[in-house]
Amino acid sequence: MSDPDNKKDELVHPLAKPFLWLDAKWLKSSMIWVFGILTLVFIAADFLHTRHDYIHLAEIPGFYAYWGFGAFVLAVMIGWFVVRPLLERPEDYWDEEGDHD
Amino acid sequence: MIDFPHIEALADISPAWPVIIGGLIAAAVPHHLVRKVLALLAPVLALVLWFNPVTIGTYGIIEFGGFTLETFRYDNLSRIWSFVFILAAFINGLYGLHERDRLADASGLIYSGAGLGAVFAGDLLSLFFFWELTAISSVFLIWGARNNAAYKAGLRYLGIHILSGVLLLAGAVIRASETGSWAFGEFWGEGMQGDQIAAGIGLDSLGGWLIFLAFGIKCAFPFMHNWLQDAYPKATITGAVVLSAFTTKLAVYALARGYAGTDILIYIGAIMTAFPVFFAVVENDLRKVLAYSLNNQLGFMVVGIGVGTELALNGAAAHAFVHIIYKALLFMSMGAVLLRAGTVKASELGGLFKSMPATSFFCLIGAASISAFPLFSGFVAKALTLSAVAYEASHGHPELIVIWLVLVFASAGVLEHSGIKIPYFAFFAHDRGLRVREAPANMLIAMGLAALLCVFLGVNYGVLYTLVPFPEVAAQYEPYTFDHIVGQMQLLIAAMFAFTFLVRMGWYPDEKRSINLDFDWVYRRFGDGAARWGWAMFDRLSAAITNLIAIARDRFGNRMFEAFSPMGALSRDIPSGLLAIWTSALLAIVLLIAYIAR
Repeated sequence: MSDPDNKKDELVHPLAKPFLWLDAKWLKSSMIWVFGILTLVFIAADFLHTRHDYIHLAEIPGFYAYWGFGAFVLAVMIGWFVVRPLLERPEDYWDEEGDHD
Repeated sequence: MIDFPHIEALADISPAWPVIIGGLIAAAVPHHLVRKVLALLAPVLALVLWFNPVTIGTYGIIEFGGFTLETFRYDNLSRIWSFVFILAAFINGLYGLHERDRLADASGLIYSGAGLGAVFAGDLLSLFFFWELTAISSVFLIWGARNNAAYKAGLRYLGIHILSGVLLLAGAVIRASETGSWAFGEFWGEGMQGDQIAAGIGLDSLGGWLIFLAFGIKCAFPFMHNWLQDAYPKATITGAVVLSAFTTKLAVYALARGYAGTDILIYIGAIMTAFPVFFAVVENDLRKVLAYSLNNQLGFMVVGIGVGTELALNGAAAHAFVHIIYKALLFMSMGAVLLRAGTVKASELGGLFKSMPATSFFCLIGAASISAFPLFSGFVAKALTLSAVAYEASHGHPELIVIWLVLVFASAGVLEHSGIKIPYFAFFAHDRGLRVREAPANMLIAMGLAALLCVFLGVNYGVLYTLVPFPEVAAQYEPYTFDHIVGQMQLLIAAMFAFTFLVRMGWYPDEKRSINLDFDWVYRRFGDGAARWGWAMFDRLSAAITNLIAIARDRFGNRMFEAFSPMGALSRDIPSGLLAIWTSALLAIVLLIAYIAR
């Protein structure tokens, strides 16, 4: 019997074959460390070189990192805990009028 | 600078005409090869005409019915918008080469040409003509999907855009009656200062407000925005790409022309940047995510126009330019996914990079550009607007600090929905085992060209900065400073860290097969319900009135019958005494009236 996974891999585009490691579990699990360390590196850069900005608030070392992290989490949390519970509807919600999204 | 030969005979021909005429011919030609040649040739001819004027000025003046129509105003503002519209028309033509749809070919060209015509319009009547032409021609790109949902969405889209045109005309008429002028804003010439172009139309009259509202509808202002998320995801594959380029950016152009420096735009724009972020997070349809993302990007441009300084207006124009290209690229990549995988629902996608590596790569470039990573086009454009807002906030307008914070928040939001969500859920995330073919060659070439421009403009930003309305101001601006690069990288990398953190903790919402209501519920469900209820009530009321009339008529008829029929009261024998009394009474009344009347 042929292995369905092997069959799938045969159908992978030749250009994609050198990049199959992108799907590796070790890569997915290590991304948090990669971005965590990079974030610290860019925050550290502020301590080595004073960043000048029109807005004084933005001159706090690591300001953009804190704001970026906070903004991302806030966006996801509001989307998940406010927008979805209030506004989520079944996929066929508009079907009653013969319409759908 | 390259000197292009000037052809005097062509000086008065707006670049819009070859594109519109190409579309009209395409509508009549049954053979697709001819239509495809037209789709590529018409933008090339438009580009030739774009390069033709040796100096900025107003060309193509037509006297018609006592009106002076200016069809080719070539100035510092129309120059950059028209150039990117022509580029977009060409790339769209390439992208749609594999399709065999006469309606789509024709409407795509006419719509692109109408957009160009509106940009070059020097007076409000010409603007109105092209404004409505964009609405009417573009609806076929939605109806082209040929399903009931697209048909209904197209009807809503058409109704809303026709309303925009009607408001524009009403505003123009009122304004013309008050000022005696049909002029559409000021001429943006060399050496012009931001103060001079501020409030070309302005909000100081009813006409000005109506025109503002017309532009606002097309620009998808908050509560007027749902036509965008309703119609674009239901359009054809190529149609969504074409639509993403013109309508809303035309509105941004019109706002810049008519309302630069109008404070209210700062607040409207800030709201536009922020609210779509929350909707995009939980949206399952990736083309709809892009429509929300489009709304968010328009917000940055609107803020720039509201600030109204030279730097801010440069920012709005540069942002519109690069946005048209990277947004088209993102829509193109999702169009390729839709073509091959048959869906753009995030809940059904994943792992497509194994089948569509080139499309994935181009999508990643579009994602990096819209997220404003250094070396990509979004970085050099968005920097202008953010710097302009920050500068004004630190120079006498401290209230703009809040706006600036909102814009920085929205920048992280852009990364979330367009930088990560789109490529991640379509091409990576969970491999759903979809093994499809790579996109057709023409689609890949179009995406490749757009991706190349994203990188080219990000690196050679000087080219972009020479096209903006105030090139001398832009020339003094350096986007690649250490401070700016570090600040932007902090924002983006920390946001990506937040994504990996949320996913690791299981706090990132899963993609669900569902929809989310938006403001369109008000007219699609509540308004529709109210209209149906009103109609039902009207039906019942009219039935009741009809019934009442019938009863009254019957009663009146019966009474008359009782009085005048052969068996009626008046036919009966009446005693002469009674008749004498009646005659006397009537005579008395007549005498009384005659006496009073004297």
